[in-house]
Amino acid sequence: MTKKQKKLVVCIAALCGMFAVVPAANAMHIMEGFLPITFCVAWGVVCVPFLVIGFMNIRKRLDENRQAIMLLALTGAFVFVISSLKIPSVTGSCSHMTGTGLGAILFGPCVTSILGIIVLIFQAILLAHGGVTSLGANCFSMAIAGPLLSFGLYKLLDKSGMNRKVNVFIAAFAGDLFTYCVTSFQLALAHPSPTGGFGYALVKYLGVFAPTQVPLAVIEGILTVVIVIGLETYAKDELKGIGFLKGAQNG
Amino acid sequence: METYVQMGLGLTAIAMGLQGFWRSGREKRRHGHGHHSFGHKHDGSVFSIDYYAYASRLRGWNPGFKALFSMVCLVLCIACDNVYVSLGTILLMGYITVVMGGLPFWRYLSLMTIPIVFLFFGSVAVALGVAPFPTGQYCVHMGFFYLYCSDESLLATLRLVARAFGAVSAMYMLTLSTPASEIIVVLRGIHVPRLIVELMNMIYRYIFLMMDTQCRMKNAAESRLGYCDFKTSCISFGQVAGNLLVVSLKKGNAYYQALEARCYDGELRFLEEEKAVTAGQTAIAVVSVAALLTVWRLTA
Repeated sequence: MTKKQKKLVVCIAALCGMFAVVPAANAMHIMEGFLPITFCVAWGVVCVPFLVIGFMNIRKRLDENRQAIMLLALTGAFVFVISSLKIPSVTGSCSHMTGTGLGAILFGPCVTSILGIIVLIFQAILLAHGGVTSLGANCFSMAIAGPLLSFGLYKLLDKSGMNRKVNVFIAAFAGDLFTYCVTSFQLALAHPSPTGGFGYALVKYLGVFAPTQVPLAVIEGILTVVIVIGLETYAKDELKGIGFLKGAQNG
Repeated sequence: METYVQMGLGLTAIAMGLQGFWRSGREKRRHGHGHHSFGHKHDGSVFSIDYYAYASRLRGWNPGFKALFSMVCLVLCIACDNVYVSLGTILLMGYITVVMGGLPFWRYLSLMTIPIVFLFFGSVAVALGVAPFPTGQYCVHMGFFYLYCSDESLLATLRLVARAFGAVSAMYMLTLSTPASEIIVVLRGIHVPRLIVELMNMIYRYIFLMMDTQCRMKNAAESRLGYCDFKTSCISFGQVAGNLLVVSLKKGNAYYQALEARCYDGELRFLEEEKAVTAGQTAIAVVSVAALLTVWRLTA
């Protein structure tokens, strides 16, 4: 390579780097038609047991207290609204929260799985984020895997007596990051690299999405902490009502 | 054989374009307007898709029929995984949505750009490979690894992009002509559990209420310099969101009592319009699917 060519390559690489930072993506929804049909079906099947458990839990809860359906509906709408809002970001681009980490912390992972899939359907219909065929894959990464990790971490750190704010931050941050990892995993599985196979493809997808998703996870963590603080200050009674819900799905 | 298909697709595109152009020109003369807006916007117009669905001329079609038609095309487009079938789907579905549904072409294009960021990153990862040794047809040394791509990977990417856009256009055919409430009716028709349908109906309503409240809270915060820098806007955003949940939860009991006062027993029943499927609509669907299958047979 001549010096001129080297300079050109460096310039192009810098340009690509800039592109990677500027347009922050929607929270990693796999778009319609991106996955082959076998993967669409397979991920859907993987989701079924979790959804059935969530459904049973919700039904048991509602049999005890019919009024809770209102709480569930409001929560679902809240998760949707949170995930459709443009969040503040440093670069001035538009990006969105997943909101499911917050849902899992407040309401537990079982309820979040059902609310999550409903929210994903509405996102596909109303916002064209995600899609019908990729619903299974998106549901697994956003409504099941991320919330499960968030909830698990939150409970674990809560027991170890860590500061609540730090705890909420870590849970939401890790949940978002995990969602992104699972999505990359799903994409790599569906489109493995022809030479290196699955491993290289995973590295590629993680690398390509990292510049947008890692800052987004940090912002999501911060925002979740602020929301939880606001809730604790102004809505002690309502939080107890929700805690009631959370207790039900544990026991 | 492929050249014939290419020519056929090209001619169809030209014919459809001309017809659409003629129709939109006729309409513009009738209504006397024609301003375009392009790009993916977020300010207040979050629910543009639902809005266009209510305005669509295809709203009179039976929602179940539309759902079936769009799902068949969607699955066909993904299952065939063939550039020509994908292009055919884009053309057909675009024609139905824009020309028959009466959606302005520029709006349609700007809606198509919504998933473009994901598509860009996703397809870059398919097109470019990373390897510790130089391979492929085009290869760049990036320090301690090589970035490469080949004609084959570029073609695969092209196929992927075409397939994704075909799928999105098939989905848009449904969502840009059918309001979400009618889609929920279809879901109930295919025996999705009653509880889920109920929740969907309620969530659909609350989304709009909450969006409205959030918008007013945001304006209030913004007029008090709540979004002047990054730190302040994070705090404002969090407070608005937290407050939104508190306000809605406080109203939740009142909503439930209002429902019970109107004899709510666990099922919301809405008046549904009965929309018959006409022979012409069936013919359009059958011809479209048959055309896509023929294209697939000819190029497979």
